[in-house]
Amino acid sequence: MVGRVADSRRIGRLLIANRGEIAARVVRTCGRLGIESVLAASDADLESLPARLADRVVRLGPANAAQSYLDPAAVVRAAQGVHADAVHPGYGFLSENPSLARACAATGIVFVGPSPESLEAVGDKLTARSHALAAGLPVVPGGEAADLAQAQAVAAEVGYPLLVKAVGGGGGRGMKLVHGPDDLAHTLDLAVSEAAAAFGDPRVYLERFVSSGRHVEVQVLGDGSRAVALGDRDCSVQRRYQKLFEEAPAPLLGDGLRAEMAAAALSLAEHLHYRGLGTVELLVDRERGTFYFLEMNARIQVEHPVTEMVTGLDLVAEQLAVAEGLPLRIRQEDVVLTGHAVECRINAEDWAHGFRPSPGRIDRVVLPVGEGLRVDTHVQGGSVVPPYYDSLLAKLIVHGRDRDDALARARAALGLLRIDGVTTTVPVHQALLADPEFAAGGVDTAFFERFLASRDLVGVR
Amino acid sequence: MADVGLVDVSLRDGNQSLWGATGLRTAHVLQVAPLLERVGFRALDYSSSTAMGVAVRNHREDPWERLRLTRAAMPRTKLQFIGTGFRFISWQNSHPDTMQLVYDRLVANGIDRVVVLDPMHDMDAARETARRLKQAGVEEVIGALTFTISVVHDDAFYADLARQMAEWPHFDRAYVKDPAGILTAERARTLLPAIVAQLGGKSLELHSHATIGLSPLTYSIAPELGVEVVQVGSGALGNGSSLPEARRTVANLREMGHRVDVDDRALGLVCDFFDGLAAADELPVGQPQDFDAAFLHHQIAGGVMTTTRRQLQEIGMEHRFEALVEEVGVVRAEMGYPIMVTPFPQMVVSQALFNVIGERYANVPDQVIRYVLGSFGRPTTPIEPAVKDRILDRPRARELAAEPPPPSPAELRTRFPKGISDEELLLRAHMPEEQVDAMLAAGPAPRHFNPSLAPVLALLGELGSRSTVHDLAVAKPSLRMSVRRVSEGISVA
Repeated sequence: MVGRVADSRRIGRLLIANRGEIAARVVRTCGRLGIESVLAASDADLESLPARLADRVVRLGPANAAQSYLDPAAVVRAAQGVHADAVHPGYGFLSENPSLARACAATGIVFVGPSPESLEAVGDKLTARSHALAAGLPVVPGGEAADLAQAQAVAAEVGYPLLVKAVGGGGGRGMKLVHGPDDLAHTLDLAVSEAAAAFGDPRVYLERFVSSGRHVEVQVLGDGSRAVALGDRDCSVQRRYQKLFEEAPAPLLGDGLRAEMAAAALSLAEHLHYRGLGTVELLVDRERGTFYFLEMNARIQVEHPVTEMVTGLDLVAEQLAVAEGLPLRIRQEDVVLTGHAVECRINAEDWAHGFRPSPGRIDRVVLPVGEGLRVDTHVQGGSVVPPYYDSLLAKLIVHGRDRDDALARARAALGLLRIDGVTTTVPVHQALLADPEFAAGGVDTAFFERFLASRDLVGVR
Repeated sequence: MADVGLVDVSLRDGNQSLWGATGLRTAHVLQVAPLLERVGFRALDYSSSTAMGVAVRNHREDPWERLRLTRAAMPRTKLQFIGTGFRFISWQNSHPDTMQLVYDRLVANGIDRVVVLDPMHDMDAARETARRLKQAGVEEVIGALTFTISVVHDDAFYADLARQMAEWPHFDRAYVKDPAGILTAERARTLLPAIVAQLGGKSLELHSHATIGLSPLTYSIAPELGVEVVQVGSGALGNGSSLPEARRTVANLREMGHRVDVDDRALGLVCDFFDGLAAADELPVGQPQDFDAAFLHHQIAGGVMTTTRRQLQEIGMEHRFEALVEEVGVVRAEMGYPIMVTPFPQMVVSQALFNVIGERYANVPDQVIRYVLGSFGRPTTPIEPAVKDRILDRPRARELAAEPPPPSPAELRTRFPKGISDEELLLRAHMPEEQVDAMLAAGPAPRHFNPSLAPVLALLGELGSRSTVHDLAVAKPSLRMSVRRVSEGISVA
């Protein structure tokens, strides 16, 4: 029997406390579901495309994110001001911030995301690691290093090379490589002081360095009592830990390994009584043919569309449904993956000059359309890319019968896509899609830097 | 002041009354389902065996798949199926165990509310159907009190039916179903309290078609007479021969001092969707109707009336139209006052037509013979004995009487390929093979429909079919679109 629920909280009006393409993305699902969308925009975004797409706009604060998108009090004030039933935090900014979740709860507003307890459980790397261990997930060998003696003891177990990681770090920030015992004391000191300065938290830990690893993540969705795994994604194409290209499913993984990874992600979600969308990031050790838990992201992910393409689900709608208190409407056996999907992140960056940001005014936008093509964007002709925020302009998402088909269609679509006025990373994606090693699939996280170094990027212009 | 709930009938009765049951496809239903879910309707009149048959026959779409996807899109709103308890899709009666299988599968796929509609008011049959529905796990079973004007259908008649529904535990609620839209506010003032008094606390709903403009007024006073829920159609699927329009009904009820707890914004979006769909697919829009006193007399629905006039015209007997209308009244009385709700208007009118163009009861359609044989249940009052004898005293009547009983599910399974689902079995058992095959061959139905994109998609489809067109550019102040034919089949907008 397919369930029906009478007692749950309806979201009639949703405040979107974010900007950019994800704001436009959430507005679109609101429109489909009949939810009134109110965009909370900073001064820099009041005229943006998401602001025009939303049913209403409310000013969140000045352009400076610290006083707008990063200020929980401002978000709650905006939500109360428009009598919003719920707040969608998008990704980044306050999306994984327990204090926003608590402030929402305190004012009777639904936070579209996990409980504050779940956010705390996975927000701190050491806590996340201990939860992963408790849920039976393999973690990268390593441990906390409160002082040099403890670090030496851990290093003896883990072996070299190893990484020193800041507990408060993430997204590639706060990591240092240690090649041998001679470097340990010095690097540890440096890491602790940098962590204290950068994250306000001096704690660090050591981890085995996996020399050839793939970044594969599993999408999960939970309702607080039950969870489903919605397939995996490969995000190994990274530059300085920033993802450039993602795909679903992860190519060239053995069926057994893939199933183990899905089971691991599910058991962590169940262990946490997780409610909402979450991503369990795993490191696949290419040499050992095994995987380790890296971290869990307690929010919607930039790359969620590739999962939507292969599952046929609207993840934002599912996220809103569980936030309303509805039980999951998907059973694990209903999850069927069809074909292969890829996503190119088109950034306003000058790839020829170290990928430096290239904000400015967009003159013209031409988007490819067609079966299996999707572009999630927040720009159009006349849009201004402000200098205050990240440089993501658009995501080109392509669904094909299989990986080769998806890549071929992505090449054709990239050839048609035009974003004029600012320098974009489109040429990098064209070069990437033409690379034989990449086309073969299963590259590791070091691939992209090698790829960049190996070619005259001016030549791809 | 009362809390009044709403049931929306757009998807089933609205579509059937205004769009010949063929206007809505899976894509339409799935597109509007999340919006309907937000409104806060108590239930949706969602499907019937007619609607399921149309999905297969006219649209080559799997009605079971449509139901499952709808349920997934709207977990909170009750989805209603309406049936007589005798038949599924075809006009032939089905084996009781087959009907049980129908109910079981409806529940498994997402139906949680069923109306037991026996226009004959044969309570023994209705009780048995309600029991089977509960056995299948239907959450809410609603007994229909089908309203008509006749010498036998007085307030006491309906009050007695209400009492029987109150006494039978397998009925959860009851509703007054007024398919012809002839319940005046004046009659409602005596009828509704008489019913409520006998329902033993079970809730009463009101379903009165807007065919001659009476029901909006009746709805306005219904809550003070004990009605808890009124049934409405939204936007283009309200009014006309459908039910009163939702937004106007809400406004009227609030004006009368009642509370209607619905999301008005979402309701507006639902209405906009049906309006947009009507415009995109060139479907008629329900209009408020003028009062038509003659309708109270013949009670022939507009569609049947139009068809009959056309048929008379085709045989050059249009001048006999008035005589036919008169004969309809006579046949209806001789048949024991069947209520003019499907399938009886068609049955009575076609018999009246035969009677007018030839000798009375010389020609009798199979449906009438089956009715007299009791296939549709027990008439409200006895059939005129002379007419009954005249109808049954013919070879065709004896043939139909000697028909073997309908096959049980176990027998059905031996007739169709092994391993097919019960859902497919039920379609195959009640529909021509080629129609089910065509449905399966068509594959999954489209799941999206945006009325405002319909003109653009039609344009693109036409352009795509013309290989001589290579480039097209459309420029408007707010839009610039260019389409170019490329080898990969990707266009640019």
